[in-house]
Amino acid sequence: MNILEIANNQSFSIDELKLLSKEEFYSEFYNILKNNNRLISILPIDRSKPNVLSAFFLNNEEGNIKILLGDFPELIFNSFANEFPHTNYFECELSEEYGYEIKNHPWLRPVRKQNRIFGNKDYNFFKIDGEEIHEVAVGPIHAGVIEPGHFRFQCHGENVYNLEINLGYQHRGVEKLILKSNSISNKRILLTESIAGDTVIGHVNAHTNLIESLSGTRLNLRIQAIRGIASEIERISMHLAGLGGISNDIGFALPASSYGRLRTLSINSLAELSGSRFGRGLFTYGGVNFDFNDKIINTITKNLLVIQNDIKFINDYFFTSVGALSRLEETGIVKKEFAQEIGMVGLAARASGLNEDIRINFPYGIYQFSPISLLTLSSGDVFARARLRALEIDESIKFVYEQLENLPEGDFKLNINELKKYSGAVSITEGWRGEIVHIAFTDADGKLIQYKIKDPSFNNWYGLSLALRNTPISDFPLCNKSFDLSYSGHDL
Amino acid sequence: MLEGIISLIIVIFISPLFAGMINKYKAIFTGRIGAPVFQPYYELIRLIKKETINASSSSFVSKIAPIIIFLSMIFVSSIIPVGFLKPLISFNGDIILFAYILGLARFLQILSAMDIGSSFEGMGAAREATFALFAEPIFFFSIGSIAFISGHTSMYEIFNSILLNNIGYEIFIIVCSISVFILAITECSRMPVDDPNTHLELTMIHEVMILDNSGFDLFLYQFSSYIKLTIYALIEISFFYPFGKQNHFLGILIFIVGFLTLSITLALVETITSRYKMKLIPQYLLFATSIGILNLLIYTFMK
Repeated sequence: MNILEIANNQSFSIDELKLLSKEEFYSEFYNILKNNNRLISILPIDRSKPNVLSAFFLNNEEGNIKILLGDFPELIFNSFANEFPHTNYFECELSEEYGYEIKNHPWLRPVRKQNRIFGNKDYNFFKIDGEEIHEVAVGPIHAGVIEPGHFRFQCHGENVYNLEINLGYQHRGVEKLILKSNSISNKRILLTESIAGDTVIGHVNAHTNLIESLSGTRLNLRIQAIRGIASEIERISMHLAGLGGISNDIGFALPASSYGRLRTLSINSLAELSGSRFGRGLFTYGGVNFDFNDKIINTITKNLLVIQNDIKFINDYFFTSVGALSRLEETGIVKKEFAQEIGMVGLAARASGLNEDIRINFPYGIYQFSPISLLTLSSGDVFARARLRALEIDESIKFVYEQLENLPEGDFKLNINELKKYSGAVSITEGWRGEIVHIAFTDADGKLIQYKIKDPSFNNWYGLSLALRNTPISDFPLCNKSFDLSYSGHDL
Repeated sequence: MLEGIISLIIVIFISPLFAGMINKYKAIFTGRIGAPVFQPYYELIRLIKKETINASSSSFVSKIAPIIIFLSMIFVSSIIPVGFLKPLISFNGDIILFAYILGLARFLQILSAMDIGSSFEGMGAAREATFALFAEPIFFFSIGSIAFISGHTSMYEIFNSILLNNIGYEIFIIVCSISVFILAITECSRMPVDDPNTHLELTMIHEVMILDNSGFDLFLYQFSSYIKLTIYALIEISFFYPFGKQNHFLGILIFIVGFLTLSITLALVETITSRYKMKLIPQYLLFATSIGILNLLIYTFMK
């Protein structure tokens, strides 16, 4: 068996992986991609030894994760990006992080460095020549409060021909820091909580699941339910914030402030449980730090009831307003074929009609027992991304109600075993933005030797570039908000 | 002369209050408490205390533009009548001067935006120039038709001479206030044409042109835009003056009620509408132009 197939959150011994030669690796790689699998990561299994590469693929239909292991002594990798465009950014990352030379790569660009590519060469931004073409450079310092990122527009009048996004200004070295704090300590939880400030639960859930599967700890239903409720409340809060942001960006004051009001209720519900409005400090290895009691359940139910009632009116008002519809509809379209080709994930992909939902395709935690429905829209424009948020809020509120009503009994904190030796595991969760992948490998002493994080933003930033093609530049903020991608999640 | 000075002082000192009132109402409509109505005054005082920094790539145009723009606003406010006070400057044909002094201010605004050399400001200048092209006919069709009705071409004379013996004038007011309202929204960069509160440089029109200004220059720009808003509000209110002609007290009442109603209306419009797509704005302005043409038709029927 050249390919190892595992499920989400299933640990495996590195011995189970067969070390392939370069040629075998390439042909298997090609076959896997050909069969509608999507690359989610390509990385050395040991951070200090870059020559042994492992590649991870997802298959939505089969619901499994495929893993390949190959030996690359010369640190040269032949690009697949010409035929499978979604691999291109992963190859750029491989080149930047581990010094691989990528052969035949169509467009090698920096991922987290600002203007250096392989071989310490200068990177030249994409440029269109022409008398009437003008370049608009935005950032990295933002005039408002959001994170730094550099955007270059090649415009003809108001129309954008090309948008190039250059990130990395928030690079903190989270992966290295996680490896450094190499013990089961609170520090790693704190680190994963701060990968992206708006996806605290999503990332920490992936991390704790990963460590638990690496240590062979099984959780009871109550813990899984609490974790599920927390992540759905995070989804509700962030979707409300997103809707508020979208209406604010089109200058629609009434829904903007109403969504904002409801968001406060939603994040306060999380504070009721964990003491933090963003759910920091809730998760721990082997369980959660806080348990539900009747008072908390009452408050959360009451808050959600208000949200459920009020959001109907606001949604009705917002999604039937002619002014709003004329701004949202047919703005920033990402067609389904393109979304699939560039490997978009999560909310944005579902708005383009792809069935990308980890909770359904690769169920983990409570979603294995209480399924959630798959919601997709097909138009792929700003409207679809906004509407899908509204639909998912309803679905998540229903899910939280269900869970709160039949909360299983059990301890809320279990003991965790030592990490397995010479093993690896993959944990994928669906954050509110999309799939969050955490991958880890341990050495013969049970110490972490590799930790990889992939935020959904890593896939979707390129989707934003596509959405902007032939779109007026004045619609950029709106498109950007409809994707609502994370800078720090990408930069790590 | 004294009347003129009084009215000029009223316009200049009341203008930040008008902007403050709009913001206050907007806050109330969206369920917030909002900043105090005198906030624009505090902002102006804060700005005047700050250091002025000019972009290193800018020339003398950026230095003189804010002053000229501010002075032209003062000049224009001395043409517009407040109540039944005779304005400082009033002669036959001053509506043309009125329009083109505002035009001069816009010209310098665009010039100074391009002078700085930032791509944002260039975009803002291009948008301002484009939309100004569509806004000018609205002014001339609306104000021009009222000039025809009254038979005068001076702002003061126009509103002072209209007699309410023709039912057509009431209809005219309704139609004309719509077109002037749209004109005011466009000229003063309010919603749905431009969002004065947005933080998104790429969608701004007016705000993006003053993005690189600071301190005293920004103070002048902000003050000018407050005065401009008040000037257009005064034009709108002026249509109703003929109703208070018999009584001076009634004139003051119309002024106050008009101010309140206009600020509430503007706040309401800004609360319940979203911004238009940039490419739809010319259509919106052409709509106002056609209403302006309707004014002329009403005039021909009134005759």
